[in-house]
Amino acid sequence: MNALLLVVLGGLVGFISGMFGIGGGFLMTPVLVFMGIPPVVAVASEANHVAASSVSSVIAYSKKRAVDFRMGAVLATGGAIGSFAGVEVFRWLRLIGQADLAVSVSYLLFLGVIGGLMLTESLGAILRRRRGEPPKPRRDRRPLLLYALPFKVRFPRSRLYISVIPPVLLGVFVGVLSAVMGVGGGFILVPAMIYLLRMPAPVVVGTSLFQIVITTSLTSVLQAGRNQTVDIVLATLLLVGGVVGAQLGARMSGRFRAEELRALLALLVLLVGLRMGADLFLKPEEAFVLMTGTPR
Amino acid sequence: MIPLVQAPPAPVVSAALTDTEIRVSSGFRGARIVLYGAVFDPKARPSDIVVIVRGPDQPLRIARKTQVAGLWLNSRPVVFRGAPGFYRVASTRPLRDIAGFAPLRHLGAGLEHLAIAAPLEQRVETTYGVRDVVVSRLGADYLDWRRAVLRLKQKAGLYAADPRGVRFVDKGLFRAELDLPAEAPIGRYTARIVLFQDGAPVSIRDRTFVVEKAGAERALYLFAKDRPWTYGLVSVIVALGAGWAASVAFRRS
Repeated sequence: MNALLLVVLGGLVGFISGMFGIGGGFLMTPVLVFMGIPPVVAVASEANHVAASSVSSVIAYSKKRAVDFRMGAVLATGGAIGSFAGVEVFRWLRLIGQADLAVSVSYLLFLGVIGGLMLTESLGAILRRRRGEPPKPRRDRRPLLLYALPFKVRFPRSRLYISVIPPVLLGVFVGVLSAVMGVGGGFILVPAMIYLLRMPAPVVVGTSLFQIVITTSLTSVLQAGRNQTVDIVLATLLLVGGVVGAQLGARMSGRFRAEELRALLALLVLLVGLRMGADLFLKPEEAFVLMTGTPR
Repeated sequence: MIPLVQAPPAPVVSAALTDTEIRVSSGFRGARIVLYGAVFDPKARPSDIVVIVRGPDQPLRIARKTQVAGLWLNSRPVVFRGAPGFYRVASTRPLRDIAGFAPLRHLGAGLEHLAIAAPLEQRVETTYGVRDVVVSRLGADYLDWRRAVLRLKQKAGLYAADPRGVRFVDKGLFRAELDLPAEAPIGRYTARIVLFQDGAPVSIRDRTFVVEKAGAERALYLFAKDRPWTYGLVSVIVALGAGWAASVAFRRS
């Protein structure tokens, strides 16, 4: 494997990560897999790379006071539970030989749905602006569920007073994904925070990155300890480029219109999801596959 | 004085490797080992040399993709015990011209004669009143699976057969080149050098060499294997530290 190529790749994905406020794992993991790195190693090492580029972005966002640390901590609590569960699920999937299937299906499902939704939403926004119509007013009514559930907590930075149950559950879900897909889960977290938790847009990206740092760090340690699938050399090469790219990306993000940025990201998400899922439907050239990792 | 009747000395093969230790460091792109050998045969009968190199045995898991409701899914993986992690056979001529089925099968010379221990998932049952019949879960498909293992390993550059891989460079002196790919597994390898005359193996020499990780690569490998949790922690600390360092560096610039 070419070291320089990995650094450059890490830099490109880091740039996208900083620009869109996502971890970039959903891009990097498939790229690594296409390059011939076994999926289980790619997924585990990628969590490490995501942690690095996200920490770099979180610091940038927290200077702009755009991180709700309290909400991030609540999400991360759920994320920790999810990571534990996810690593065990992944371990079991590997043993029965279905880890590849789980990775393909989750990519197709989550990236496909989210990419599709984001694309329609952002294209709609772009078209309205072109026609000179005013942007669609945001519905301010928050889902009743957020208030009806117990354990309500104040989140001053987000100007919210809601039950902690929805964010914790969201965290658990993202933690599982982080282990199975080798992603931070930003592409789920960001829309969920906007549309489900109704957090104000400026703090969403920073907070999501903060929770991603915690979840992916934990996933990394767990994958190394439980599955021994983290490749420190691979991860380090990727993150050297990744952290630099993330810084540059975060600086660039202010120069684009938000909906154009979203449309671009949506397209990227959709393409990756379809590509990863395509293998499920295409007749494989080789009917047999060697599984990586030795059985215990 | 009774004249000493000496039996004609049996032909003997001897061989040596240029390297007995291959050190794999982070820049490892594969290695070439040269094997030299000599045939000592006073009668100078026509000789053929077969070199069989086996890497460390590893259990391997293989699954077959089958179409279920329009989707291509992996079957349950089948475990082959003790398939060599590396296998290469080189000879002076195509193997089937050198010897017949039995000696080749016995020596495990040639991909079709390579011994791979039967799949792990066997059950013992009583069939037609005969006790303890071992039934492989693969049944009649067994050959398909075996061929698939060989095919995939060949594609990965780990198994190969080279019918022109051994050359006589001078009378009785032969040379073989052995290329190890970058993916060659770590461990002890054996090179078995067999002298064939008239279709029968008449002399065998075994040589061993090791492929081992060296330097930083070795330290990391052992670290990951022996202390996986600390390894994970260190990798995260490196990641977080790098992220922090980058943000500091960029604030200053």
